[in-house]
Amino acid sequence: MQRPTPTSTLSAIAAALALTTALVMQAAAEPPSARELLKRMDANLTFETRKARVKMTVEGKGRTRVYEMVSFGRGQDDAAVEYLEPRRDKGTKMLKLGDELWIYLPAIERVQKISGHMLRQGMMGSDVSYEDMMASRELEKDYRASVTGSGSHEGRDCWLLELKATKKSVSYQRRKTWVDKETLIPVKQELYALSGKLLKTWTMSRVKLFGERRFPTHMVIRDHTKKGSSTTIEMTELVFGIRLEDEVFARRWLERRH
Amino acid sequence: MLQLLLRLSLRNARRRRARSLLTASMVAFGVALLLVALCWMQGIFGKIEVDAAGQAGHVRIATEAFAEREQLMPLHENIADIAPLLTALGKQPGVVAAYGKISTGVTLTAAEEIGDVFGLAVGASPEYFETYGGLKSKLVAGRWFSRDSKQAEEEIVLGAQLAERTAVELGQELVLLGMTQYGSMSPIKGRVTGILDGSGIFGRQVLVPLERLQWLADMEGGATELLVFAEHHGRAVELEESLRGLPALSGLKVQAWSRRAPFSTVKGMTDAVGGIIAAIVVFLVSLGIWNTMMMSVLERTHEIGVMRAMGLRPLGAVAMVMAEAAGIAVVGGLAGLLLGVGPAWWLETHGLSLGEQTARQMGGTIPIEATVYGDLSPGLMLFCFLLGLCMAVLGTTLPALHAAGIAPVAAMRSGR
Repeated sequence: MQRPTPTSTLSAIAAALALTTALVMQAAAEPPSARELLKRMDANLTFETRKARVKMTVEGKGRTRVYEMVSFGRGQDDAAVEYLEPRRDKGTKMLKLGDELWIYLPAIERVQKISGHMLRQGMMGSDVSYEDMMASRELEKDYRASVTGSGSHEGRDCWLLELKATKKSVSYQRRKTWVDKETLIPVKQELYALSGKLLKTWTMSRVKLFGERRFPTHMVIRDHTKKGSSTTIEMTELVFGIRLEDEVFARRWLERRH
Repeated sequence: MLQLLLRLSLRNARRRRARSLLTASMVAFGVALLLVALCWMQGIFGKIEVDAAGQAGHVRIATEAFAEREQLMPLHENIADIAPLLTALGKQPGVVAAYGKISTGVTLTAAEEIGDVFGLAVGASPEYFETYGGLKSKLVAGRWFSRDSKQAEEEIVLGAQLAERTAVELGQELVLLGMTQYGSMSPIKGRVTGILDGSGIFGRQVLVPLERLQWLADMEGGATELLVFAEHHGRAVELEESLRGLPALSGLKVQAWSRRAPFSTVKGMTDAVGGIIAAIVVFLVSLGIWNTMMMSVLERTHEIGVMRAMGLRPLGAVAMVMAEAAGIAVVGGLAGLLLGVGPAWWLETHGLSLGEQTARQMGGTIPIEATVYGDLSPGLMLFCFLLGLCMAVLGTTLPALHAAGIAPVAAMRSGR
């Protein structure tokens, strides 16, 4: 038997390498399954606990209003917000527990439950409605998703994800999402009504790393039903996994004064 | 000659008493009907005019953007600082009073949870509500705002429909949840001190002093409208013209109440409806008079022919027939006034009930009450009497022309 020559061995190795590279590249070019994408998106955006200082800038009706608040989150269902600025709104608190939402209005020293038509109003006149705040972050629960291809948003390569609501009760019956291929953050979302009308555009940017989690610290929401209106949310002092007092997620927290 | 013609007309009228009586009755009926109908219409629309002008302001001043979209009550389109404008207006000749006003939709609750009871919150001076809205007289329970402005700030006067739906009682606390001009949720609370009559638009309104709604809307010192009042709402257009040139109001829309929707269309419509009713009655009665007078002329063809042969000119024949009809119309008109004044006076003093349900349905924009009263005036009576004369003139025109056209020889030969 003839022994393989150095040249033929090298050729074989090169061929194997080329084949492996081609296979890997092909695998990389294949989009992940929609379910997988949603799972990985949700892993970034959902958390056990979170605290953040938030600055919300609302532009519209020829005016700009800036709100500052501190926000707490616990799992998917519970959230609390206390407004710090401007002076008129200082002390206003909101508490979401599961499907229920309350607001504490310091002007009348009273807690009011928000339900029905009130949910569709914008928080503090912003483009984020109380209903948006109530919606589940886990899109997998309410939508059937499919990856429709690739695209880009502000220079970032993205997977294009099309989501269709599985329940009529969901506010946005269709979503078109640009998911950043690297960070797996939905950098842009277009939210549609059942009629096909574009209701809102939601963009996320300035993604930062928090341990193994990537989280956007800058969001812009545009409500297309309001002319010239936009809301910018900036999160600072963002921390995850901290210990939060149970009292924050109790109704008595609403009326507690500092 | 004139005296002769008049004597002939009187003689002709007396000669055929039955026909003259019939003609006079038709005029009397027409005049009576007109008097009652126009009395009631004048009562309804006259009251609407006064109330509408009172609520809307004889002249209203607002930003152009607000005036364009006022149905949506855009709070952000407001006049930021009204104090200097009110001072300037107070110095203008013809201005009796001026007030700031804010109106906005609110959700009312006496309970813990925000429900679905919606109402219109109106913030203005209690003096405006009382003097020009006439609202103090519409209280059905409780009392009006306190004279002490500090105390009045905590008080709410509520429409009966809203009181019923919120199940709130006098003295109880009520929360009004509205929005600031920026869109933030904004509440105020107060004690219900008075309840307004439930019919019409006031039943669904909640009245508070202007300062409270300025706070709710985050509009310190501002208002969405300035309402200016003259001596009488009929002078609104004149006042509007004089205020337009005021430098302090430059860039703002200044409009008399009668030139604003829906009042501008309603006024035109009511005038048209009154005119149509009068025209129909005049036409129908004229037809009847035409019939009786034509019969009279035809029966006297021979007589008129003889008079024409003796020198009566065609114009004289016309005058003779017209004078006969006019004389009958005067008698009929006076009888009609006597006949109609009773029901018209009853309408003025007792009114006609439309029912609360109808008033609520109709009272969305135009203030209308459950009971509507007539408005009888000497001017109206004179107008109806003159219309009676018109009926006679119109109805007699063709018969009179026929009389003028009678050929003397042919008429004498006919022997009629």
